[in-house]
Amino acid sequence: MTQMLSRRGFLKLSSTAAAVASLSSIPGTLGAMEESQKHYKGNAKFTPSICEMCTSSCTIEARVEDGKGVFIRGNPADKGRGGKVCARGGSGFNQLYDPQRLVHPIMRVGERGEGKWKVVSWDEAYTFIAKKLDEIKQKHGAHTVAFTARSGWNKTWFHNLAQAYGSPNLFGHEATCPLAYDLAMDDIFENGVSRDFAKAKYIINPSHNVFEGIVISYARQYMEALEHGAKVISLDPRLSTMAAKASEWHPIRPGHDLPFVLAFIHTLINENLYNKKFVEKYCEGFDELKASVAEYTPEKMALECDISADTIKRMAREFAKAAPKAIFDFCHRVTLTPQELELRRAIMMCNVLVGAVEQEGGYYLNKGAGFYNKFLGEGDAKAPVLKKPKIPAYPKVEFPRIDRIGEKDSEFFLAKKGNGIVTLIPKATLEDLPGVPYRLHGWFIARNNPVMTQTNTETVIKAIKAMDLVVVMDIQVSDTAWYADIVLPDTTYLERDEEFNAGGGKNPSYDVGRQKVVEPIGESRPGWRVAKELAEKMGLSAYFPYKDIEDYRLQQVGDNIDLLAKLKATGMASFGVPLLLQDKKSVAEFVKKYPSAASKVNEEGTIDFPHKIKLFSPELETVSKKGALSYEPYKYKEADELYFINGKSAVRTNGHNGNNLWLNNLCDDAAVWIHPKTAERLGIKNGDKIEVSNKYATQKGKALVTKGVREDTVFAYFGFGHISKELKRAYGKGVNSNTLYSPLVSPNSGMNLHVVGVKVKKA
Amino acid sequence: MAKKYGMIHDNNLCIGCQACSIACRSENEIPESVYRLQVWVKEEEYPNGTIGYEYHRQSCVQCENTPCVGVCPTKASHITEEGIVLVDVDLCVGCLYCVAACPYQARYVHPVTKAPDKCTFCHDTRLARGEEPACVTVCPTDALIFGDLNDPKSKINQALSSRVTYREKEKLGTNPKMFIVPNHKGGINS
Ligand code: SF4
Ligand code: SF4
Ligand code: SF4
Ligand code: SF4
Repeated sequence: MTQMLSRRGFLKLSSTAAAVASLSSIPGTLGAMEESQKHYKGNAKFTPSICEMCTSSCTIEARVEDGKGVFIRGNPADKGRGGKVCARGGSGFNQLYDPQRLVHPIMRVGERGEGKWKVVSWDEAYTFIAKKLDEIKQKHGAHTVAFTARSGWNKTWFHNLAQAYGSPNLFGHEATCPLAYDLAMDDIFENGVSRDFAKAKYIINPSHNVFEGIVISYARQYMEALEHGAKVISLDPRLSTMAAKASEWHPIRPGHDLPFVLAFIHTLINENLYNKKFVEKYCEGFDELKASVAEYTPEKMALECDISADTIKRMAREFAKAAPKAIFDFCHRVTLTPQELELRRAIMMCNVLVGAVEQEGGYYLNKGAGFYNKFLGEGDAKAPVLKKPKIPAYPKVEFPRIDRIGEKDSEFFLAKKGNGIVTLIPKATLEDLPGVPYRLHGWFIARNNPVMTQTNTETVIKAIKAMDLVVVMDIQVSDTAWYADIVLPDTTYLERDEEFNAGGGKNPSYDVGRQKVVEPIGESRPGWRVAKELAEKMGLSAYFPYKDIEDYRLQQVGDNIDLLAKLKATGMASFGVPLLLQDKKSVAEFVKKYPSAASKVNEEGTIDFPHKIKLFSPELETVSKKGALSYEPYKYKEADELYFINGKSAVRTNGHNGNNLWLNNLCDDAAVWIHPKTAERLGIKNGDKIEVSNKYATQKGKALVTKGVREDTVFAYFGFGHISKELKRAYGKGVNSNTLYSPLVSPNSGMNLHVVGVKVKKA
Repeated sequence: MAKKYGMIHDNNLCIGCQACSIACRSENEIPESVYRLQVWVKEEEYPNGTIGYEYHRQSCVQCENTPCVGVCPTKASHITEEGIVLVDVDLCVGCLYCVAACPYQARYVHPVTKAPDKCTFCHDTRLARGEEPACVTVCPTDALIFGDLNDPKSKINQALSSRVTYREKEKLGTNPKMFIVPNHKGGINS
């Protein structure tokens, strides 16, 4: 939000406040309920839970007094986050008590997107959905219904329902967000990896703005590194808060991170800056890598990325010198490009080349219970493994998924079935995809907002309108719910218990999932209950062999009652001691605790990697001839256009909480950043009303003239210009980036593009 | 010796995320149309030619020599033994002299009580429970440090001895207990 939160913006606050206070009156919302029915029951002590105001899932504690939400803070037991929350996290009770939130099932009575609804009972809702799903099954087959839900936001339940019903088309939100780096780490490390920012001495950060797209533990770690005198290099087309805090800011050309990284690798190899011993011992594919980057000289790539060859070479030398306490941040989002997978792989390879993996201040493998237990011998205490209730075999599906994951020649074969390529759904509805002998006819969407979060909004809406059934489960009438046939009121995270989660950093850890702080308001129901009840209506109750969430959790921990008690009381638990395989000190401490692990220790006092690290991907080579790294220039814009890019705001999350009263008051408009020289050329002054347009859409907005953006680029925060008129505070305010982006789905990674050409003029 | 509470806002650590502002609203039930605390973000061009952001904490700075208390005809505005400036709503006659007298524009009129109100370092809520102010508790990057200026071992005194700080409008002699660590990028190094 940076400049937007200037004094002027704040003064405006008092005038908007009056307008904002007008309550919602659409049927089914909390505001439309009778006052006497709004009773909130909650716990006066702090209850540990997990935040859901963004996807970072911070551990929190929330307190309720006299039936009113009082305060949310970070869980002090969580050392990594230091007991902190961000502005969004602190605004959680606003979501809970928002008069505009949905607390009854509502059914569409007008056209899709017309905004005419009637309140129905849960039973009517279940009957309607079950009947429609059955009709689609008869007419087109169960496989033509896609089910989308985010991890930790109902995925377990609705993916279970989908498979019981007979659809293979399960999706998360990943392809609109982290999928490319997830795939890259699976390919290179056969494991998830994390970054030890706090201890690093040198960090290259390509637009990973953890100070605005806040991830609290990362923000704290980056700050710690900066305080310790680490050098942080920001490559970002605009002056983000990260760029402002960094030691150096290089406004890289949007969408051209890959040529930078390739030249960087070229330098590491050609100047012999890489760690030969590490590469020889633990890596495969080095020769292929060397050959593939040979043509990407810094001189040549400098012209692409707009950072000088000398600067690229200097950074590569500094990076190698700082290793192993060096991190080339594989980042989140950046300016998503058609070569997302290549970019993330290339970045990760930089860390591998200098041997900054499984070391303090570098990358480390995520160690869940499975991984960790392998290093423990007989007799040592093992980290517990969470179980799942036994579910009967799902019906067999004869049809491929729309993304054809699981088939050898699918370009998305690296993706996991639980994530899927959600960005393909509009295409798979409107056109025939190669190798997919059907189109989609239904979409069941739990707490995901594709109309707002997928690119080329118009296509997404068109697809939704073409479907026979669209069910949305959400806490509000989101932009996607706006086009649904039926909207089911989910509980907010403060009103529901969830399954326990297993995680892993340097050692295995677990968290409580979410824990109820207050009883559900109105008729809102948690996902585990809705999926189970709907399944019962459809005659599929055998697939939900648990009484309630408490029973489910009991089955998860098995006889480990201690773990159950600990998770409920403190919200989290971790096991064993941290382990970094390449750090002698860490290995020694690990062996001291678990003597039987001594057999794993090599002559250098470290532990070998469980797999070879891949600098060339035989799998990708088979499928797409992309096993080696390569750069394919892409034309984002015409010569007379400007690059348009977006980024995250610290007070709003993507498509999700822009309608939150407090957050909306802090920032309700995404002004378009434009460089003074460009503005002058176009005759635009700060604060002017402007029009941003291209072949996909025209958006009206406000100009923010600032030197904090490249001359050939304009920038706006993401998650503005909401489309649902039921999001009364956020509706239509600010430029909606996704309407402007192209519908391209990046090969292999399934990611959307977040760079496009636009024309800007005074409105 | 009585305690003397003060606070540090470190411009280097602040990221302008507004978590403090929201926490304050939440803890002190601040009505929508007003605020006790905001962080204003401003683009700045530094002498070395680089650009960056400056973060200004807009709130009561808890003056030791208090213009607001000085002009109050009814003693509604007063300063506690611990150096916290408060408003006694029952004694307030609504003359708003204190609002005009505050050189930091820190006071607002509470829309319900109609009396002036402002940051109290969470005197009635959190300090009464032995906790730190709400803003300090949540700040993701630890840009806020709170504590007893009379205790040489307190966190705030340790930080004051190791970081260069200044106070706003020091010339006025109000002696604020809000200390600011300037941005190193501004050319001032500690
Ligand atoms: S970063 Fe903020 S919104 Fe996201 S989970 Fe953490 S506290 Fe919640
Ligand atoms: S919470 Fe901390 S970092 Fe965020 S704006 Fe407030 S003082 Fe700055
Ligand atoms: S900042 Fe203003 S309100 Fe606060 S003590 Fe000083 S004069 Fe009084
Ligand atoms: S000390 Fe308390 S009242 Fe003052 S700004 Fe911080 S949270 Fe608000």
